[in-house]
Amino acid sequence: MGDFLYNITEWLRSTWLADFALGMSEWPLTQWVVVHFWAIPIMQIIHILAIAGSFSAVLMLNMRIFGFAGHATLAETSRRYTKVLWWSLLFVIASGVAMLFGDTVRNLLNAIFWIKMILVVTAVVSSLAFTKSLSRRTAGANGVQGEVVGGGTKAAAFFLVILWIAIIFCGRWIAYAPA
Amino acid sequence: MYPEPTNIWERIEYSKLGTTIAESTWMFPTIETIHVIALVTVIGTIAIVDLRLVGLHSRGHRVSLLAKDTLPWTWGAFALAAITGGLLWISKASSYMINPYFLWKLVLLALAGLNMMYFHLTTWRTVEHWEKDPTFPFAAKLAGWLSLVFWLGVVFCGRLIGFTLGIYY
Repeated sequence: MGDFLYNITEWLRSTWLADFALGMSEWPLTQWVVVHFWAIPIMQIIHILAIAGSFSAVLMLNMRIFGFAGHATLAETSRRYTKVLWWSLLFVIASGVAMLFGDTVRNLLNAIFWIKMILVVTAVVSSLAFTKSLSRRTAGANGVQGEVVGGGTKAAAFFLVILWIAIIFCGRWIAYAPA
Repeated sequence: MYPEPTNIWERIEYSKLGTTIAESTWMFPTIETIHVIALVTVIGTIAIVDLRLVGLHSRGHRVSLLAKDTLPWTWGAFALAAITGGLLWISKASSYMINPYFLWKLVLLALAGLNMMYFHLTTWRTVEHWEKDPTFPFAAKLAGWLSLVFWLGVVFCGRLIGFTLGIYY
């Protein structure tokens, strides 16, 4: 696995990204972030809190879909946590972009960073499809407890949890990736 | 080869378990990742109840039912965070014990625990009497705000530990 990641990083170094990352490290915003000690920790704290919002929203939706948390109807639960999920995702992306400026070379020329980006895009697209399908399914089901949930919805909900765990894994491992 | 330990923290750090985690290329990051997953679950599920208590989210939902849905996850994730946090601590015990952010994190965790305990032993006992009211009692709102502030502080200090481990020695 280490060799595989190292080879991807080596390949990234041979692309235009290497020059771009080096050029970006000279940008005024990058320089500002680098010399202000508190900038990166604060962005990371916002990033962690936003991940807490996204992950918990997905987790609670799962709990309702699998019947482990059932005080509200699926329609109510979906409405409540979908809003939390989208707002949190907005902050995840905004703080993630801001964090890029903390160490442009280590981030952009890092195999795990790009794996994380692929997973984040997959999470956004999957969440969009999942929440749309859920709102279609629950439309008109207000007040009805225990709507029937199909295997496809359960599989999609579970997939989102696994996806978020993988995103968090990659996020932490960016710092430990072979460079 | 490790030097002779001069205090209890070094004795813990130089133990078989401590050195195994510290020397492994994958153990520390893996345990750290599981710690982060557990922590975001704790923070997120606690925030669902706290935001309801302070009246910023899920208005119209009974807080006792929200808590029933989230608390098993909060406790399960907290246990996982405590175990993984303990393992991380063992691998660098002497550095953590002189790091002010680590010590503040412990203080804030204790305060969050005390706040929750006091709330559950007092205001929460009568929850069925006030949870359908348009506004919650001051004590419930205060407990919610304090919990949010303490857990925000835990995340703040937790992240700062990583940036300051080499500074304090």
